[in-house]
Amino acid sequence: MKKISILALITSLFVSAIAVANEVNIFNARHYKADSELYSKFTNMTGIKVNLINGKSGALEKRILSEGADSSADLYITADAGRCGAMDAKGALQGGLTSAAIKDAVPKSFRTSKWVGIAKRARIIYYSPERVSGAELSGMTYEGLADPKWKGRLVIRKSSNIYNKSLVASLIKNNGKKATAEWAKGVVANMARTPTGNDRAQIMAVAAGEADIAVANTYYLALMLSGKKGAEQQAAAKKVKAFFPNQNDRGTHMNVSCAALVKGAPNKANAVKLVEFLLTPESQEHFTNNTFEFPMIDGVSPSPLVVNNLGLDFKQDMKTKLASYGKNQAAAVEVMTAAGWK
Amino acid sequence: MSKNFFEIKDVTFAIGGKNKVNDVNISIKNEGDTICILGPSGIGKTTMLRTIAGLEKINKGEIILKDKVISSDKIHIEPEKRNIALSFQENSLFPHYSVDKNIHLGIKKNSPTDKNIDSNEIIKILNIEDILSKYPHQISAGEAQRASLARSLISQPDLLLLDEPLSNVDQSFKEDIQVALKQLLNKNKITTIVVTHDSYEAFYLGNKCALILDNEVKQFDDPYNVYHFPNSVEVVNFLNRGILLPAKVTGGNSLENDDLGIIKGKFVKHYPTGSNVQLLLQPEDLEHDDDSNLKLEVVDRKFRGTNFIYTLKTPSNRLIPVAVHSHHWEQHEVNEKFGIRRPIELEHIVCF
Amino acid sequence: MFRYLNIWFFSSLFVSLIIIVPILTVFSSFFENTTNYFEILKNTFLFEYTLNSICLLVSVLFLTFIIGTGSAYLVSFYEFPLSNFFKWALILSFAVPPYIYAYSLTAFFENYGTAYTILKNLFGEANYNSHIPKFDGMLGSILSISFSLFGYVYILTRASFLYQSQQLIDLGKNLGFNSYKSFYSIILPSARPAIVAGLSLVAMETLAEFGAVDFFSINTLTTGIYNSWIAFDDLAFANQLSFFLLLFIFALFIIENLSRRKAKYHFNSRGGFKRKEKFRLSKSKALSAFIFCFLVFFLSFLFPLSQMLYWTIKFPENLFDLDIINLLLNTIYLVFLSSIILILFSLISNYGNRVSNNKILNLLSTLSISGYAIPGVILAVAFITFIAWFDETIIKTLGFLSIKKIFFGSILGLVLVYFIRFYSLAFNGIKSGYEKININVDESAYLLGYSKRKTFINIHIPFLRNSLLFVGILISLEIIRELPITLILRPFNFETFATTAYISASEDLLEAAAVPSLFLILIAAFFIMITSKYILRDNNE
Repeated sequence: MKKISILALITSLFVSAIAVANEVNIFNARHYKADSELYSKFTNMTGIKVNLINGKSGALEKRILSEGADSSADLYITADAGRCGAMDAKGALQGGLTSAAIKDAVPKSFRTSKWVGIAKRARIIYYSPERVSGAELSGMTYEGLADPKWKGRLVIRKSSNIYNKSLVASLIKNNGKKATAEWAKGVVANMARTPTGNDRAQIMAVAAGEADIAVANTYYLALMLSGKKGAEQQAAAKKVKAFFPNQNDRGTHMNVSCAALVKGAPNKANAVKLVEFLLTPESQEHFTNNTFEFPMIDGVSPSPLVVNNLGLDFKQDMKTKLASYGKNQAAAVEVMTAAGWK
Repeated sequence: MSKNFFEIKDVTFAIGGKNKVNDVNISIKNEGDTICILGPSGIGKTTMLRTIAGLEKINKGEIILKDKVISSDKIHIEPEKRNIALSFQENSLFPHYSVDKNIHLGIKKNSPTDKNIDSNEIIKILNIEDILSKYPHQISAGEAQRASLARSLISQPDLLLLDEPLSNVDQSFKEDIQVALKQLLNKNKITTIVVTHDSYEAFYLGNKCALILDNEVKQFDDPYNVYHFPNSVEVVNFLNRGILLPAKVTGGNSLENDDLGIIKGKFVKHYPTGSNVQLLLQPEDLEHDDDSNLKLEVVDRKFRGTNFIYTLKTPSNRLIPVAVHSHHWEQHEVNEKFGIRRPIELEHIVCF
Repeated sequence: MFRYLNIWFFSSLFVSLIIIVPILTVFSSFFENTTNYFEILKNTFLFEYTLNSICLLVSVLFLTFIIGTGSAYLVSFYEFPLSNFFKWALILSFAVPPYIYAYSLTAFFENYGTAYTILKNLFGEANYNSHIPKFDGMLGSILSISFSLFGYVYILTRASFLYQSQQLIDLGKNLGFNSYKSFYSIILPSARPAIVAGLSLVAMETLAEFGAVDFFSINTLTTGIYNSWIAFDDLAFANQLSFFLLLFIFALFIIENLSRRKAKYHFNSRGGFKRKEKFRLSKSKALSAFIFCFLVFFLSFLFPLSQMLYWTIKFPENLFDLDIINLLLNTIYLVFLSSIILILFSLISNYGNRVSNNKILNLLSTLSISGYAIPGVILAVAFITFIAWFDETIIKTLGFLSIKKIFFGSILGLVLVYFIRFYSLAFNGIKSGYEKININVDESAYLLGYSKRKTFINIHIPFLRNSLLFVGILISLEIIRELPITLILRPFNFETFATTAYISASEDLLEAAAVPSLFLILIAAFFIMITSKYILRDNNE
């Protein structure tokens, strides 16, 4: 018995220590089935093995930072630009995502040399067409969420949610901290309930009549409409309509899933290859059809579900640099907490 | 001079750095003899047994068994190599084995089989046939004690150590088992040391008794002598079978007490005439005689089955025990007068 | 002094050091200064975290007390339909960790959730959502934790009830007490140490709870530590929180230990023990008792089980997507490796304590069981921090290769932290087994010619066999359910049922979390069933 356990211990030591030559290690905070399918495809095409460690972004970041230069991580993939920016600020990333393929594919404001967006999502407003008129919504902006006319009619997630942090960070970038602090107070005053649940729960709250408008990411409604969440949610999703705010000024707040190159990455070249692969039209199409995100590159159209139900053409905010989401994150948390946003 | 079978030479028994019994010298001359260690609780009797068994070490003196030093300040033979059996006062049966298996674990595969002990006989004598298939937690404390005793006996030790072997055994059984045990030990020539606080048990089982009092062996002698010729006041007090009365030596074979008058007998030890001594008076020493003019007041009467013990009060307020046969027809109640035959003659006079 | 320095001393010292070092790491960095960019908000956070923790704690304690002692009282004193079934069925609640309970609650009660579906299928289309109560946030956390932890109170209280002497109860009757009065003035007070011990365990687990409160986004001290450490990099604040939390938990730990000791004296009083005759209840009372126990059983076990089963059937594609064999093998691998190592070292320590009877050694082993009091999240992060520090300041300075890879993302690191966390389970489990072997037994064995080694192998091991099995399964149960440590420290491409469920749930894919959750519940329930005999054991049987 003793011998077996010692043997097992020794073997397990080597499981992590032996470096198989042709591989790429991903610290992955995006857990879609579609992603794993893409990675298998990549392995089949290139022979490069993809090793995954799945986890929540915070824990993964902590591990990358603790491992420091010895980290086995090559790529850090997460669903928020603010996180990539924060990792960069901590010096955990390195430059190198500068190949022509990447530069050509991704617009400038959606990448740095250390991280690039691989799929886009917009954070938008959902409304109940039964209870919200077109006139009420006309010209609606994020700033307008603080308008007292929405008192008791708005649902939105907790302030600890990273999508909200990035949204508020972008508002701080555009309107300044002071104005955003006032805005946050207005939003809190309008809330129909204490924030609870995920994005989908916000949409369902509108469907169920708990609130009239909700803030949530684009792909959730598509997910519900797809029937993957069951017939009830499919039916519920049909009671809700999407609205893209800020169409008359800077455009709708965009965020990305991003891939960041980790400092000391043992398989840097493979990492770059993988990022390039994720930006090919085939991969992008796979994303749009399965995760219902918006494509990062031109020439690929979003999923028909997204197109038909959310609207095809809308003005995306291409001006606000995504790197600012990370920079203003702390201020965003401060503003929301000060306003009593739970 | 022939050697002793077992000997404790100048040993100080200690446990946890605390001395319990100092400078002990005890020996067992012949194989098959039994000695008893008698003394109040907590005095260190169990420590002595544990040390002899090899469970504790010694820093002073030596313990010799069959001409071999088994413990000294330098030598310490491990308990498992001593062939000494110890039957613990508390349950020490292996909890996961049946009583039967427990008992037969005692049989050693490679022990010298010069003694041939019949395990069935032991089981029968100790009256544990009915519990053989049971497990230790299913039996009573007394049964466990007997099973444990059986295990020790069956292991055919060179030396058997019994720690209060019958303390949990029902009174009704106790005497039967004492008898059986003694026969068994004699028949199989098992050398034994018994620890007990019951002086009758000690007197019955032991060829010799060692009295441990005040951190030392006060007296090591045969039971008759211990009882009738206690060598110190402490021994008298411990045995609690007599009182000490002040008396004055009046000659070579007599002394005088203020309450009882002249007492005659043979002095065990010589005292010069005129010296003041403490006389040991045991319940058997005085005889009842209502015709006597020496009358004392009864303050208590205890029925002890074979006899009555009267407690009498002397004019100087001392309490004297007197044993009277229980078929004695003249019973005295409390506060009545009780006559004592004179002249008072004792078999032997023990004084301090 | 030197005679104490034997192999037992060093092995116990070794075990204790492994465990104490990470704990010291937490404390040692108290005075570290970091840039606290949200200094101004700290007071708000500290207040909120503490308030949430206290609110959670008080409510959970209240609920587990009611459910745990209530059901224990009914099954130990009364006979009613299925009372013998409930006796062991109630401990199946241990198979459902709080986070899976939380998924089930959400799945059932959310807008357009399972409750809605049921109502729709029964009564046709309508907007039921506003009528269906919502169990999320604080309320959801309280319910999830209570229903999955009340078992601690139930098991300990029931054991205590079982050993209450019939005499006491007869005495109560003799004094003319009715059953309510008997309960309040005799039964309950004499079970108090057991109840306190059970509640302290619940309290420790509640304060350490991560999965469920994280799922419901409730900021407690534990998630606060995690967030300020991980998300805000504010080690100083995290440490302040840890310090308060640990003080709190250690107080509970001590209370638990003391109460347990008292409870044990209570169990050991054999005098007057007589198998109690259970009262047969009248029809209406029997029905109420049945309903109470059935509700507890249903809510704590059947409800989450059927919710997960329902989803697995409703979304079967998730079943086929999951590499169940692989997850099972990973789980078994972890369980076996950890159990063997834990049992081996606990045996060594226990045996060492027994044969050397050394006070220092005893103190060391007491210290080394304190790992259980530290929330898994904190332990994992402290471990990483410690190894990183050790590697940078010592190993590298000495010119050796980095040791980080040996410990980070390796089975070794994972098992090591499990070891720290669950050592007390193994140690105490074996200790209680050992305590039943009187020291005389060892000595008798020596005197019968058994060497120390032979005594250990032929006497101790056979006797401890059941304890070892029980401890092994207890550890397995914990490891199967364990979340934060596995999450933070596991290697590449290595998932367990727990991590798969958690990851899916955190990505808003609750239906996908159902399959691993279902398997987790089933495996854990299986383990519980085969050991229920030991969990509910009576010392006299």
